[in-house]
Parts: sequence; structure tokens; C-alpha cells
Amino acid sequence: MNSSMITAAVSMNALQQKLDMLADNIANVNTVGYKRKTSVFEDILTSLNQQEQDFQQAGRRTPLGYSQGWGARLSSMQLDLSQGMLQQTGTPTDVAIEGNGLFEVRPDGTLGGSRAFTRHGSFQLISSGGGDRMLVTNSGFPVVAEVGGTESFITIPEGYNLTIEADGTLKGFGPQGSTPIELGKLKMMQATKPELLQSIADNLYGVPENVNIADVVTDVTQLPADALGISVRQGFVENSNVNMTDEMADLMIVQRAYTLSARAISSSDQMMNMANNLRA
Amino acid sequence: MLRGLYTAASGMTTQQRRHDAITNNIANINTPGFKGSNAVTRSFPDMLLSAMGGPEGTVNPIGKLSTGVFAEENLLSMNQGDLQETFRMQDIALVSDILVPGAVFDGSGKFVDANGTVTYQPQAFLSILTPEGEERYTRNGSFRTAADGTLLTSDGMRVLGVNGQPIRVNVSWDEVKVTSNGSLINGTTGQPLDGAPQLRIMRVDNPNFLIREGDGRFRYEGEAAGIRQIAANDRVDVRQGFLERSNVDTAQSAVDLMAALRAYEANQKVIQFYDKSLDKAANEVGRV
Repeated sequence: MNSSMITAAVSMNALQQKLDMLADNIANVNTVGYKRKTSVFEDILTSLNQQEQDFQQAGRRTPLGYSQGWGARLSSMQLDLSQGMLQQTGTPTDVAIEGNGLFEVRPDGTLGGSRAFTRHGSFQLISSGGGDRMLVTNSGFPVVAEVGGTESFITIPEGYNLTIEADGTLKGFGPQGSTPIELGKLKMMQATKPELLQSIADNLYGVPENVNIADVVTDVTQLPADALGISVRQGFVENSNVNMTDEMADLMIVQRAYTLSARAISSSDQMMNMANNLRA
Repeated sequence: MLRGLYTAASGMTTQQRRHDAITNNIANINTPGFKGSNAVTRSFPDMLLSAMGGPEGTVNPIGKLSTGVFAEENLLSMNQGDLQETFRMQDIALVSDILVPGAVFDGSGKFVDANGTVTYQPQAFLSILTPEGEERYTRNGSFRTAADGTLLTSDGMRVLGVNGQPIRVNVSWDEVKVTSNGSLINGTTGQPLDGAPQLRIMRVDNPNFLIREGDGRFRYEGEAAGIRQIAANDRVDVRQGFLERSNVDTAQSAVDLMAALRAYEANQKVIQFYDKSLDKAANEVGRV
């Protein structure tokens, strides 16, 4: 009786965690650049109760010992980095990535600060003094580009409009007749081990401290875009890759499993009641 | 003491164990690669009853009395679970339908021939390595990669290749394709990856010798000759992008749960009636 209660309660806990994760995905169905989380269940440690030699009877199939399981737990929560649908907005500072790429940003605002990555390409231009404007994310973190081989932030002089080409090259177009200026190339990273990326706030991804960043993401800015299938689209945003149908189907499965576990708890509760009332 | 009291008590304990096994199945209805367990009950040895008080030197046997029941073992049900497409490159599902010449297996994976010999259907498993360096087996193919490229299970055990060493993949998994015999090749060029990694899939002749350890792992406790790598003609398929669902049947589990509960209740009633009888024997017989 008590074992059943423990088993069912433990797995209801796991189902609750999965429900929380599904709710998170559903809440972010309209968030630009959001990547859904997935998780898997696993069964918990099984105890093997000893049986004496006398239990080895004819017709017994398994080795001596009675195994007892204790339920299920949520084993790993991972990001699903599949492509979301692109939507045209027409805003020149909106950028969407097609393919397995990530933008690099600096949440601290300095080039030497901590590195973060994102797919959320709804950038904006903020004034950085002297008429110049800097390209930042919608939370105000500067976007990193490679200019002449070194990293820098993207600054557009006054009077110039920003154009971003399919391979990430940044150009500024001035008044009619003037030559376009080169502003560098958007720094593009490719996630080789996407499951090691951690979600940090504001739709950014980071790498945990004890992991070498080079193992998780590689700089692919200088490689030709068609070699990797990564291209950048100005004027588009990438919608979240959450598929409502799949999430709702998972939600129903979790709900039904939860109900069944609750049924097992009430059943074992009835059994304990019977044992208590053996001698009324 | 009335013998039936202990028989009924053993019945209650057995139904409780059955209930525990079914609850564990229910808890793992969504666990990939989970194999349901069935509690098998067995009767205690029968006792021969004889009448007392006959002529000196004679024994008058009355008959046999069963002295109770106990939950003997927790059998694994090895039915193939349904495949669920997850589109994750690192999810692997095994479809195992190994044939044995001359045997037609029933729904529970057993074949009894004309002489009464029982054969069980062999099953295929993926091999993983515990941190202590021991080999374990699993059907849960939800894998991920470590920072150095080693293929891991969802709780961090390393997955073994055919050469007995953990598999390491140095390229992005977007390009890796796992063929139906478990080899990892480059999806675009068709060439094997560095080191020609191939999943180590073992064939267990008698799955009853597998002990479930939890965390998706099984430990093999049979003879060494009963477990070997699969051969090319064994009907085992490796599917990338799929997960094998738990083989627990929801409806059957709910019904079994109710059956265990009611059998528990029936045994409880028997104990209560014995209690009343003993009450009479202790308190009312010989009352003045």
C-alpha cells in the first residue's frame, strides 16, 4: 500500500514538471525566436528484494529476487533548435536566420563581457552619440559583428541606411549617388552541441561556466554561407517553433497519466483503509 | 490458531505486491523504452491433513490444504512498444522481432513445443557503460551528446559501439545518419564517420534473465553464451528520429488495479470473519 502511494506520488511530481514545461512552451507560442523545450521520462531506481533459496521452485523464470520499481522521473530537458517559420515584417532592422545559426550579443554592453547567443532577430537602432546609431536587440544588448577580422559592435553613421545581405554582410547606403560603406559582417555562430546551450533570460542562450564555449558553438562568420545552409533575411522575423497541436497532444497525454496515477493513489488509500479496519 | 487466518493474510500481502507492480507500470506509461512488469503469484506447498482420534497406529488422511499464496517474481513483458516520431537526430528506437527456427511465439514471447520445452523470444538491446565500467542494456534510445562528443543516454551513461568503446561523434548531429544496422554515417556523403562507429546491439536469448535496475537499465544475469551481438540476419531495425514508447497498456492496468483492490478486500473480509470466529471461541465458548 505504502509503496504504491510513494510510486504514484513520485510520478505525479514528474508529470507536474512536464506540465510546467509544456505550459512554458504554450505561453511562448508567439514569441519571436523562441525554441521549444523537450524532455523525456525515465524510470526510477528499482529495488531488488532478496529471496531465500527455497523460493527457487520449478517453473520459475527469473533469477532469485523480487524487483520493485518506484515510479518515473523527468530525465533531461533539452532545447529543440528546429527552424521556426519566417514572417515578413518589412522593418529593416528585423533579421531572421534560416538554418542552424545564432547571433552573438553582449548582455553586459562591453566587448569583453559575457557572451550570449540568440535567434531573436527583432533588432533596433539606438542612438550612441554624435548622430551614430548602434544595432541592439529588443532588450538593448549590442549585437556583435566582425569588422576586418576583429569583433566590434555595429555602428551606423548618420544619414546612412543599413542593409544586411543574405550572408550577413552589413552595408550602409547613404544619399543617392554616394558609395555604400562597408560595416563588417554579422557574427554568425553555429551550435554543434545544442543540448549544452542554456536558456538565460530575455530569449538568450548561454553556455554554462564549466563548459568550453568552443565545444558548443563555432564561429562560422567567415565560411561561405551556402556551405552550411545558413542565410540571413532582412525584413523578416522567425516565429517560435512551438507547434500547438503537438503541445496540446502532449498536454492531454500528461493529463491522462496524471489521472491514472491519482487513481492508483486513491486505490492504495482504500487498501490502507481496509487494513486499518481489519479489527474495527 | 485457525489456519485460514494466515492464508488470508498471505493473500492480502500478495495483492498488495500486485498493486505495487501495477502502480509502477502506470507511473511509467510515458517512459520511453519501458517494459511493463507482471507480478506472478504462486501457491505455497500444500499440506496434507489427517484426522486424529482413529484406532491406534492408523493414519486417516483427509486431503490437501493449500496454505497460502505469495508473489513469486516480477516478470518483464517484452512486447515491442509503439514507435513515436520525435524528429530528433539523436533519438534511436529499436524494432526487434528476432526469429528462432521452428518456434512461433505467442503474445507474451513464449513458445512451448510438443515435448513441453519452453523457448522465449530473444530480444535486442542497446549497450551502455555505467560510471563503474560495467555494461548494461537498455531500450531507451533518447540520447544526447557531451561536450567532447561522446554519445550519452539521458542520464549520462555512455553508449557503447561494436568495439566495446564509447561512441564519439565530432561533427554536428544534423549531418549524422544512423542506418538500420546501427552504423553512423555522414548523411550527405554516405561515408562512415571517423572511426566507423556502430551502435553495439546485443541479442539476449532469454530476456527473463534481465534484471531491471531502474533508470532505464537492465542487468544480464544469465549464462555468458546467452547474450551476443546481433548478426546480420537477425530481424532488428534501428530507427533514427523515433522513440519506442512504453509497452504498458493503460486500460489493462486500470482493470488490474481494480482487481487487485477487490481481491485485497475479499481477503480482508475473510480475516474479519475468522476474527469473529476466534472471538466466539475465546469469549463465548464455556461462558457461564
